[in-house]
Amino acid sequence: MTWSSFLNFSTMGHRHLVFVYFGVWIIQGGYLAWLAWSWNHTKTPRR
Amino acid sequence: MEQRTHSLRGIAWLWLGIAIAVLVVGFRQAIFLTPAEATMGDLYRIFYYHLPHAILGLIFPYVNLAASLAFLFWRRRDPLKALTADALAVAAAEVTVLYVGICLATGMLWGKPAWGIWWAWDARLTSELLLWLLYVSYLLLRRYSPSGQAGTLGAVLSVFAAIDVPIVYMSIQWWRTQHPAPVFGPNGGGIDRQFWPPVLWNIVGWLLWGVLIMLFRFALERRRQLAEQEAALQAIEASLEIPQ
Repeated sequence: MTWSSFLNFSTMGHRHLVFVYFGVWIIQGGYLAWLAWSWNHTKTPRR
Repeated sequence: MEQRTHSLRGIAWLWLGIAIAVLVVGFRQAIFLTPAEATMGDLYRIFYYHLPHAILGLIFPYVNLAASLAFLFWRRRDPLKALTADALAVAAAEVTVLYVGICLATGMLWGKPAWGIWWAWDARLTSELLLWLLYVSYLLLRRYSPSGQAGTLGAVLSVFAAIDVPIVYMSIQWWRTQHPAPVFGPNGGGIDRQFWPPVLWNIVGWLLWGVLIMLFRFALERRRQLAEQEAALQAIEASLEIPQ
């Protein structure tokens, strides 16, 4: 498989394959980004 | 203390780098290097992301269970240790919701072109959905329960929620399902040798990623707990101050 055949939206199977691979990275990356945002917006306790 | 925080931050960045590198190799193996499967063609490549999330979605609930049991054990004996266990429990529950949710979504995206249907109410799919709902309800219970009770109520629910994990695992052996038979284990159908590299790279990659985000969520929860303790302490100190 190449990039052009991977990014092929001609059939439902190919579309869903792209949705899975991009969707998983977006969801997981989004969760990590939300954690990082929350980390930066939570008060650091005094030592 | 400052030095310890600094070295922990360094380890976390290194861990993130390794996890992303392994996942990139897994992606390359899954999409570009491994040949298409004979029956399903390229659609089979969804398996390389679906399977790791399905496996890990059955492991993180046990981290939640162990932490919840530790919380119940320590909650009267050592409240500070109990708070740490509680932070780990909530972190594991969130990662469980994430992994089981992705497993369900990728399964549906695979099922529609492969079976012609998005969903079947068979034992595997239903018990997996139930698992996801149980951990969503765990998080909602913690979010909306009265202050001070969240940990205990959540820990009790988590003991019951964990019972669903072996049911999900065994469902395809106990009942005839639309979902395929097991791949691994004594009754597993197995997979061809040429498909092993993307499977293994992605299992390791998503495991490294999952452990990292769980520990990050744990650290965030600890930071929240300490900030809350500090605010409570300041409020008590302020109430004790006598005006001069």
